[in-house]
Amino acid sequence: MDGSVKVTGTPALELRSVRRVYGFGSAATTALDDVHLTVPSGRFVSLIGPSGCGKSTLLRLVAGLEQPDLGEVLVHGVTPADACAAKMIGLVPQSPALLPWLSVLRNVTLPQKINRGAGRRRERIADFAERQAATVPDMKELLVKAGLGDALHKLPAQLSGGMRQRAAIVRAFGLQPDVLVMDEPFSALDEFTRESLQDQLLDLWEELRTTVLFVTHSVSEAVRLSDTVVVMAPNPGRIVESIDVDLPRPRGERLFGERRFHEYEDLVRERLRRAWSSEAA
Amino acid sequence: MTVADERTTAPVAKTPPPVEPSRFSLKHPRSRIAWIRPAVWLPLVVMLVLLGGLWHWGAEQLPYLLPPLSDVGGSLSDELGYYVHNALVTLGEATAGLGMGFVGAFVLAVLTSELPLVRRAVMPIAVVLNVTPLVAVAPALVVAFGFGPMPKLIITGLICFFPILINTATGLRSVPQQVLQVYRTMDASRVELLWHVRVPHALPYLFAALRIVFPLSIIGAVVAEMSASGSTGGLGTAISVASSMNQLPVVYASILVLAVMGVLLLLAVTVVERRVLYWHDSNQD
Repeated sequence: MDGSVKVTGTPALELRSVRRVYGFGSAATTALDDVHLTVPSGRFVSLIGPSGCGKSTLLRLVAGLEQPDLGEVLVHGVTPADACAAKMIGLVPQSPALLPWLSVLRNVTLPQKINRGAGRRRERIADFAERQAATVPDMKELLVKAGLGDALHKLPAQLSGGMRQRAAIVRAFGLQPDVLVMDEPFSALDEFTRESLQDQLLDLWEELRTTVLFVTHSVSEAVRLSDTVVVMAPNPGRIVESIDVDLPRPRGERLFGERRFHEYEDLVRERLRRAWSSEAA
Repeated sequence: MTVADERTTAPVAKTPPPVEPSRFSLKHPRSRIAWIRPAVWLPLVVMLVLLGGLWHWGAEQLPYLLPPLSDVGGSLSDELGYYVHNALVTLGEATAGLGMGFVGAFVLAVLTSELPLVRRAVMPIAVVLNVTPLVAVAPALVVAFGFGPMPKLIITGLICFFPILINTATGLRSVPQQVLQVYRTMDASRVELLWHVRVPHALPYLFAALRIVFPLSIIGAVVAEMSASGSTGGLGTAISVASSMNQLPVVYASILVLAVMGVLLLLAVTVVERRVLYWHDSNQD
C-alpha cells in the first residue's frame, strides 16, 4: 500500500518498503510489512490503528530507536541515526519522562547542554537554509506560552499530569526539531486536559510548523490535529490508507460542531473497521 | 490558561529506591515540631525507664554478668578522655575504610552499568565476596598486615563495598526507558547520560546504601580491632582488653559509646542526604 502525499523537495520523512520483524522462526511476528510513507516537510501526520498494527514501531524506526530489517527510513534525506546526531528529531513519549530532580525550566533547557556539536552537523544536512531553525529559543517564553509560567521553578512532582506532559512537549519543541515524533502523548490524561493540550499543541505547532508524526488511538484527536491521517492495520502491521484532512486552520473548539469534522471522523472509523474486519476474515 | 489542569493530582514518587523512599520534593517541617507532643516521645521514655529498671534488677541478681548502670556511668565520666580517644581511633578507621570502599564500589558500579563485559566478569566475584563472612577473614589479614591500621581499613572497606556497589549499580541502570529514549534521540553521549541522568537518578539508591553501610563500617572496624587485640587502640581493643580483665563497666561503657557513635553517623547520613537531595530542590530559586 502506498501512503504517499504530494512531494516537493526532500521529504521530511520517507519510508521505503520497510519491514520489521520481532523474534525468530515460528515465534516471529511481523510488526511492519512493506510500508511506504512519504511526508512532506511541515505536515502534521497522525498514525492510527488498533494495537499491534505497528504504529509505535514505525515511530521508533523514525526516531532511530530501532532499525528496519528491510527497506529504508530517511529523515530529510539522511538516516534516523544521522538525524539524531544533528538533533533534528524531538521525541515526546507516552509518559512525560521528565527528570524529577530538575525544575521544569531546567528540564526543558537540559537538551541544549547535550550533544553540542549537533548544530554544525545539522547545517550540513540538505536544504538546511529552507528549514532555518538555528537560533536557540527562549525556553522561558515557550513555557509561558504553554501555560507553565507559574511552574518554571517547580519540580515535576509538584505538577499535575497535564502540566508535566506540557513540559515534555515544550522540551521537544525547544530543540526546534525538523521532525517531532509523539507517541500517544495524551493517552494517560483525562478528556478535558487532553483537549486543552491539543489546543496548545496546535498553537505551538502553528508557530513553528515542524513536521509532526503523531501516534494516537483516538479518532477525533487524529482528525482534529492532522493534515493527514494514516490508517494502519495489524497482522502484519501495514498502512491501509492515508486520508488528507482538508479542514481550515486554526482548528479551535468550533470545529467540534462542524459537520465536515464528523464526516472525517466517520470516514476514518469506517476505514479502521474495514481494516479490522478484513483482518478477522 | 485552562481550568482543567489546575487539578492537584497527588504527586506520586515514581521509583522508590529499595530501602528509603525518595525525598526529592518532600518538605518535612512537621517532623521536627512533632517531637513536642508527649504522644510522640512518651512511649520511648517509658520504654527506656522500664529497660533501665530491668537492667538494675538484673545487675542486683547477677553481679558477675551485668554491671550496675551507675558503674557504667561512673566509668564513662571518670575516664572520658580514654573513651573519646578510642572512639576517635575507631571512627577514623571506620570512615577511612568506608571512604575506600565507597570510591571503589562507586567506580565499579559505573563500570559494570556501562560495560556488560565488566559486569559479567565482576558481579559473580562480588557476590561471592559478599556471602563470605568477612569477619572470618580478619585474623588472616592481621597475620598479613600486622597490628597497624591496614587490616582494619581493608575489612571495613570490604564490608561497605558490596551494598554500595549493588545499590548504585541498580540505580544507574533503573532509569526509565522513556527517559533514555528521549535523550537517545538527541544522541546524548554516554558521559552526558551518566552525568545528567544516570548518576542523579542513582543518588537516592546510593543514600539508601549509605544508611546501611555507615553502621556496618563501625562493625567492621571493631571486629578488626578485636582480631588484632594488643594493637594501637580503638573501642574494639578496649572491649577485648577490659573483658579479659573482667572490667564489665568498661566493656558496657565502650559498647554504649559505640552505639552513640552509630546513631551519630546515621544522623550525619540523614543530614547529608537531605542536603544533597534538597539541593536539587533549593537550587532552583
